[in-house]
Amino acid sequence: MRNQLPRIILIIAAVALSIVFLWPTYQDYNYRRQLNARHGQDSVAYLEQHQDDILNAKLKRIKLGLDLQGGMRVVLEVDLLQFLDDLAKNKDDNFLAIVRDVRNEAATSEVTVLPLFIRKFQERGIRLSRYFGSIRDDDAKITAMLQDESEKAVDRAIEIVRNRVDQYRVSEPNIQKQGGRRIIVELPGVKDENEVRQLLQGTAKLEFRLLKDPQISYRVMETIDKYLTGKLEGDSTAAASATAEKKPEAQKQRDALSELTGGTAPAAADTTTEARFLREHPFFSYVHPDQRGSGEGYVDAKDKDRVVRLLERPEVQRLLPPDFQFVWSAKSQQFADGVKRFMLFAVRQTAELTGGVVVDARASVDPEDNRPIVNMEMNSEGSRDWARITGANINKRIAIILDNAVYSAPVVQTKITGGRSRITGMETPNEARLLEIVLKAGALPAPVAIIEQRSVGPSLGEDSIRSGLSSTLLALVMTVLFMVLYYHSGGAVADFALLFNILFIMGVMAGFQATLTLPGIAGIVLTIGMAVDANVLVNERIREEMEGGKTLRAAIDAGYSKAFAAIFDSNITTFLTGIVLYQFGTGPVQGFALTLMIGIAASMFSAIIITHVVFNIMTDKGVIPNFG
Amino acid sequence: MRLFKKTTIDFLVKRRFWYLVSSAMMAVGVVSLFTKGISLGIDFRGGTELVVAFSDRVEVRDVRIALDKIGLGRSEIKSYGSDRNILIRSTEQAEGTTIGDRIKDALQKQFPDKKFDVLKEDKIGPKIGKELRRDALYAIIWSMLAIMGYIAIRFKFTYGLGAVIAIVHDVFTTFGFLSILNGVIPGLNLDITQEVIAAFLTLIGVSVNDTVVIFDRIRENEKIYRSMPLDKVMNKSLNDTLSRTIITSGTIFLVLVILLLFGGEVNRGFAFTLGFGIVTGTYSSIYVASAFVADWNLLRKKKS
Repeated sequence: MRNQLPRIILIIAAVALSIVFLWPTYQDYNYRRQLNARHGQDSVAYLEQHQDDILNAKLKRIKLGLDLQGGMRVVLEVDLLQFLDDLAKNKDDNFLAIVRDVRNEAATSEVTVLPLFIRKFQERGIRLSRYFGSIRDDDAKITAMLQDESEKAVDRAIEIVRNRVDQYRVSEPNIQKQGGRRIIVELPGVKDENEVRQLLQGTAKLEFRLLKDPQISYRVMETIDKYLTGKLEGDSTAAASATAEKKPEAQKQRDALSELTGGTAPAAADTTTEARFLREHPFFSYVHPDQRGSGEGYVDAKDKDRVVRLLERPEVQRLLPPDFQFVWSAKSQQFADGVKRFMLFAVRQTAELTGGVVVDARASVDPEDNRPIVNMEMNSEGSRDWARITGANINKRIAIILDNAVYSAPVVQTKITGGRSRITGMETPNEARLLEIVLKAGALPAPVAIIEQRSVGPSLGEDSIRSGLSSTLLALVMTVLFMVLYYHSGGAVADFALLFNILFIMGVMAGFQATLTLPGIAGIVLTIGMAVDANVLVNERIREEMEGGKTLRAAIDAGYSKAFAAIFDSNITTFLTGIVLYQFGTGPVQGFALTLMIGIAASMFSAIIITHVVFNIMTDKGVIPNFG
Repeated sequence: MRLFKKTTIDFLVKRRFWYLVSSAMMAVGVVSLFTKGISLGIDFRGGTELVVAFSDRVEVRDVRIALDKIGLGRSEIKSYGSDRNILIRSTEQAEGTTIGDRIKDALQKQFPDKKFDVLKEDKIGPKIGKELRRDALYAIIWSMLAIMGYIAIRFKFTYGLGAVIAIVHDVFTTFGFLSILNGVIPGLNLDITQEVIAAFLTLIGVSVNDTVVIFDRIRENEKIYRSMPLDKVMNKSLNDTLSRTIITSGTIFLVLVILLLFGGEVNRGFAFTLGFGIVTGTYSSIYVASAFVADWNLLRKKKS
């Protein structure tokens, strides 16, 4: 009798390992059931009692993919170009032109930003030290520095995203770096997409900027207004001295005007006051100056886009004085006449203080008017600066700007020495909470764009689990029946091995902390069908050998040894495609590749070793397996 | 139970005929690919795709009217699984998820008295779409090369070549089949998604599986029957393995039918593609791979 002992030990070891790996999954299922059965105080008590175990079970259980749990998957791409833009100094037209070029090219093709960026400089023969580093540094040194800074920026962005997601309290989030500048964020169970997007994308650039004097603000608005009507003083002299450029300039002015009015300039014959006003003061028709003299302008919500585009035009930008910038209010306000309007603020271009000094933020409620606010605390250096700034600007207004939008612009009442400040102007407590998270985690070093977003609702997830389970069960039942019918007891042994097969697949997945997805379940179902193959190869061979005249034992042994080559070769090739699929696929498809590969390995093990051992034991004990 | 007694079918004698059939099938497939084309899921095209479940039955027509109002009337709209679920796919690109939001708003305005649930929402930027297309192509090419290499090593180079030609045949015919049947069967969604590409790669693996078992038997029989001419050895091997081939392909096919009917909407395209692939895979192992090797051998013999 051949010594079956080593093989038996191997099998038992494999089974034991699988059970050990799968135990936390069972535990987790159990705990959840217990918690659901209890209510209120009881469940809290139970939770505290078994806290560590429950956490442990959760960590080690088989994870369900987003397509089975429901949730969101977002791929962020760090805007390294903007990052480089922010790093640069002495930016001139050449620089801006290069940035524009790179942006256009990078939007359509799959090029890495930094090499392209550097190449553009080299093509024009401009040294990098004009804009980066110090004069003495050569291109190679600056390139290395930029490369290093870019990588650090992406890593910092990942940390900040991780920080924000942690505070948002998602269970089992998954955050990974992909390639040079992409971040994959998987958030199971998340329902509010808008919140998540705000959470991930807000750069959280916080700035405190002084408002410009109201008179200056109005004067600039008047200048724009006059420009649009073509009546800008000094315009005629400038035009006369450059007649060659006069035509395009005038055309640009007309374009700007029609952009603002949407091409619906009133006919010259129209003499209503409105029409006359529109013709004479096109800018003020859309931007109503605050009557109280604060220097702000009010713009109807429906007109905001037009004014935004107008203000972006280079001809209009040129009309602005130095250290001057228009910034919009973050939210629109509903006025007494029922119209929603945004505010346009005139602020200094340089910030007095930035968010880097904020060390703590807390969402709260203003005791006076019950509206949501966020209280902020600064570090010692920030507090000193803040005291100086507030002290020097009493009765002036400071705008609190987050991501280039003004949240509020309160008047400085007194010098603030405690390093405290607050942000108001949010609509809901949830918004305040998001702001708190984002301020605490810190500002992203560069903006991130969402280039891919997938979300699965929980109901689809549940349906998918149900379909997955029922198809697996059905496949199992049909296969088992068939094997027994066709190969009799030989088939029953194969079925027995199949069950081990499934145990091993689940065990290995639990061991690797792999994620089970719906295509992954399809992979298991497929494995059930394919696992049969190895058994069929062996059984068919055994039949042949028996027909050839061998004894049962000899036929069994011959069957296994002769079939082995075929089993091995055919399974390896399918395994190879599994590897390729794992490399290529994302998310759910990777889950399929994983179960396919594990399934193949497991089915080879159970078909070749387990069934062989069983047959040998059977024949030793005198039980004759029948191969039909 | 035994389905097949000892068979002695001469498979290879009719192979000329089957070469014609194979070429015809591939030609039809290719023609369909170039004329009707295939429907790419947004994985590969980029855009926004929503699956919405309404509280009761909704007409695709009405959904299109709603989308027309926001300028998205040319989006693809079809039912998804049941007549209450609608799949909307638009290739328009916009910042973040504005397209998705606009669609949801439009639906709300058009059907104010029906509630709907968003089952699934995907937004793929243009770059990702391009990358996935490229990755899919690489995946198929790499797996073919890997398999050809492995078989060339374990058997002979000719066999590797034969296997690859069989794979190419299977991939093209299946693509053609998907193209022809796209939109023909109601309720069956045959868009090319990542899962479908996974089905193709699996089909490559399983088809080769089949081919390898036959090649293995040929190798074994060659050693035993040294004096037999190759095509007779091949025929014998094909007959020897026939029962196994049919049973294995049969069980996998059965399992795929179960997956098709019960495995959920997501797995449907996968199951259908792979199911068809199994059939062509089995066929090609005999009439493409083995036939090729037999003919190549004959050609070499004639030359020498």
